[in-house]
Amino acid sequence: MADYQDVLARVRKVTAQMLNVDEEEVTEDKDFAFHLGAESIDSIKLVAGFDEEFGIEMDEAEAVQVQSVGAAVEYIMKYLD
Amino acid sequence: MRLVIFEGDNFYNFFPIAYLRPTFELRCGHSLLYEKIIRNHPGLAVSFFCRDYLAETFSARCPEGSAVNDLRSLKDDLLVFNGNLLVKKFKLHPQGPEEIALSEDGEILYSRIKKETAGKLPCTDIRSFLDTAREKLPVEKAPDLTLITYQWELIQHNREAIDSDFEIAGKSGIEGMVDKQANIYGPAERLYVAPGAEVHPQVVIDTTGGPVTIERGSIVFPHSRIEGPCYIGPETRITRGNIHEGCSFGPVCRAGGEIEESIIQGYSNKYHDGFLGHAYLGEWINLGALTTNSDLKNDYGTVEVYMPDSEGNWRYVDTKSTKIGCFIGDHTKTSIGTFLNTGAHVGVMTLLMGTGKVLPKFIPSFSWFLEGAVTAGYGYARLLETAEIAAGRRERSLTKADKALLDHVYKLTEPERKKAIRKDRKKLLRG
Repeated sequence: MADYQDVLARVRKVTAQMLNVDEEEVTEDKDFAFHLGAESIDSIKLVAGFDEEFGIEMDEAEAVQVQSVGAAVEYIMKYLD
Repeated sequence: MRLVIFEGDNFYNFFPIAYLRPTFELRCGHSLLYEKIIRNHPGLAVSFFCRDYLAETFSARCPEGSAVNDLRSLKDDLLVFNGNLLVKKFKLHPQGPEEIALSEDGEILYSRIKKETAGKLPCTDIRSFLDTAREKLPVEKAPDLTLITYQWELIQHNREAIDSDFEIAGKSGIEGMVDKQANIYGPAERLYVAPGAEVHPQVVIDTTGGPVTIERGSIVFPHSRIEGPCYIGPETRITRGNIHEGCSFGPVCRAGGEIEESIIQGYSNKYHDGFLGHAYLGEWINLGALTTNSDLKNDYGTVEVYMPDSEGNWRYVDTKSTKIGCFIGDHTKTSIGTFLNTGAHVGVMTLLMGTGKVLPKFIPSFSWFLEGAVTAGYGYARLLETAEIAAGRRERSLTKADKALLDHVYKLTEPERKKAIRKDRKKLLRG
């Protein structure tokens, strides 16, 4: 069973790297586009980054619809469980 | 008497441009390869044989009354042709002895088979039928015929095919409109402007190097130069085009900028400035402004193209030519400023975003090339939506069969795509 806090930490790390923001800014409640400045191409980079970090292959059409850091954690955990 | 046109076994030598069509449906000169065979054998019923997964979509496009992958149609007197043949005036007379002509590599070029013999050949699949015919029939020395073995050979033979098709068509002169301020430079009899075609002012048509055909409904807009040999298919627009020798445009294309010795299958746009040379584009492609390909290496070496073999193993194939551009599969779109490498293989329905650098030589089908990496992008469904929109802009639509074919090719191309995506993920993470 995946650990929520562990997944969150790794999602924050990847998000900070991909969006070139400070990791402190990347909290669960943050929306990738609205709060963290992600553009449309960034959502694809994020999905690729999460796939690589977690060794999974998410459904890209679904994954790019995920709007926030917290929702990303929930979505990724479905693949890990 | 029936004309049989079969697709060669080496269809993988024509990927990506033959993912969605049989190889005999590829264009060279004025027309498709199979159209030239039919042209030389008028009035005969026709049977086509191709990969099973192409049969349904091809049936919707093939000449009315033709059979596709119907083995029952082989119970007849037959004139059999390898669909990869690039024929000029060669025709096989319906009357004559049974015979089979082979290439140096043992490929069947053509055959005349009587009904009685055809009835005794195995009819479980076309390959068994042909292989047995090859064993049983007397082998004749074939005249000098061109068998297209790799996709780049279509480009290499395009100039002579345009010359030949123009001569055989026997049409010359202006039946459409050529403005008096347009210039024809060279023999006027080497120009054919079909009814409904227009050549606007300040256009130069240079026939000194070869013939130029402009088909019905096409328009050549001002400040274009068209250098023969050249074929412009129906309903195509040339806008500020600097069209060098050896180009063929299928129907409903939009072409501009600099184009040299290239073939565009049809329904594709290369509307803006940018160079396209020694290239073959499929259908429903859109090349964004300043998309440019290289067709010559800086060291003038021969060009290699990344392609699968018969087992599906991918490797670089030496074209033995120094002038090779790119091969782009149907439905692909490029952004502004996309630079394609010499000998690039760009798959079906890919989306390329320029990076300011030359892109990799191989971009797998159904992938999104973004920020210098092959990705899954927004996924296959989004690509299909874009394809529907693009077709709608030309008052067409994707049929159920078209979508089923795309689904099939999506799965077929999955291994190489996944491999490239996994490899490039690390590149994205590194930034």
